[in-house]
Amino acid sequence: MTQKEFRADRPNCSKWVDDGGQPAEELEIGRPSPERSRAANEVGSAIAHQINGPLTALRLYIGEIRQISGRSTEAAAARVSMQQMVESAFQETERICAMMRLIADSFEGPLYPENAAALGRDVIGWWSRRGPERDGSSPPIQTILTPREREVLGHISQGCSNKQGAIRMQIAPRTFESHRAQVMRKFGARNGADLVRMALNENPVRS
Amino acid sequence: MAALHQHGSEQTPYLARAAARILVIDDDACVGRAIQAIMIRCQCETVLASRAHAGIHTFRTSEFDVVIVDLFMPGMNGLDTIKKIRSKSGVPIIAMSGFRLRNSLDAEQDFLGMAIRHGATTSLRKPFSPPQLVAAIDRSRGMAPPTGEPSL
Repeated sequence: MTQKEFRADRPNCSKWVDDGGQPAEELEIGRPSPERSRAANEVGSAIAHQINGPLTALRLYIGEIRQISGRSTEAAAARVSMQQMVESAFQETERICAMMRLIADSFEGPLYPENAAALGRDVIGWWSRRGPERDGSSPPIQTILTPREREVLGHISQGCSNKQGAIRMQIAPRTFESHRAQVMRKFGARNGADLVRMALNENPVRS
Repeated sequence: MAALHQHGSEQTPYLARAAARILVIDDDACVGRAIQAIMIRCQCETVLASRAHAGIHTFRTSEFDVVIVDLFMPGMNGLDTIKKIRSKSGVPIIAMSGFRLRNSLDAEQDFLGMAIRHGATTSLRKPFSPPQLVAAIDRSRGMAPPTGEPSL
């Protein structure tokens, strides 16, 4: 796998589609499946979120130090070298900020905006729960589903249609569907039957 | 933008409009402290809260000119925090987050955009620079609040 192939095969983060038409996972680095590239973007996003706090503080301090060093009244020679260092530190900080923007930008949101906040919390939560001793395995499904999604999953595993489930939960069918789509995405389910099978295997619902 | 800053050429310190009392709600205390350090030079007093509930409580028990809210915090998230504060007050609210999210169907759809729809006055994308911070504060104070009485 050459560098060139690697680049050529990575467009700007491919759009994730819920078609499941991919053949069995190919472990070829140059050809990430939509699922894998989405997962990679989510991880990048979670990392960017973690780093953004300290980076924001650093950028503020560096900006302030730079401002102050420009006004300092020390001996000219010392001042120039100090200013050069501050300027370099400032440029490096700006460079890191630009990188973090790119990483954070690659995270594509869910199809339905109403799920955006929940998905964001999931992604961030996954990273914070992931201790250094973990081997990078995916988180257990129970922890990645939101309470609402768990409820939806419960109705699905009891054989409810979208419409029946929506009526039981007293929400719009479209909302039910979008929760269901999120659950499918998180489970990696390819279709409804797949989802029900996984739901029964997991049996995460106690209510 | 950074390239334009030659040392010496930008001597005038950015000035936030008159002294203001600012409430920062962010679970990362380092961000709050950095904002505090910058705002001291603008004669602004900054109060920090590391959780949404604590922040809302502080907001209710004291007077603030601007509230800066991080969108992703443990417990209550920033969007709900903004909604809660907005339901009671027309105070300028600045939403901040570095967490971005694109939607292939709607490019405008991201967390900061959602914050504006929840009642935030303006937004700041992390990591931001001191001039961007001060500009956001000035911008938020210059804008008419979406609800409540005008504050200026």
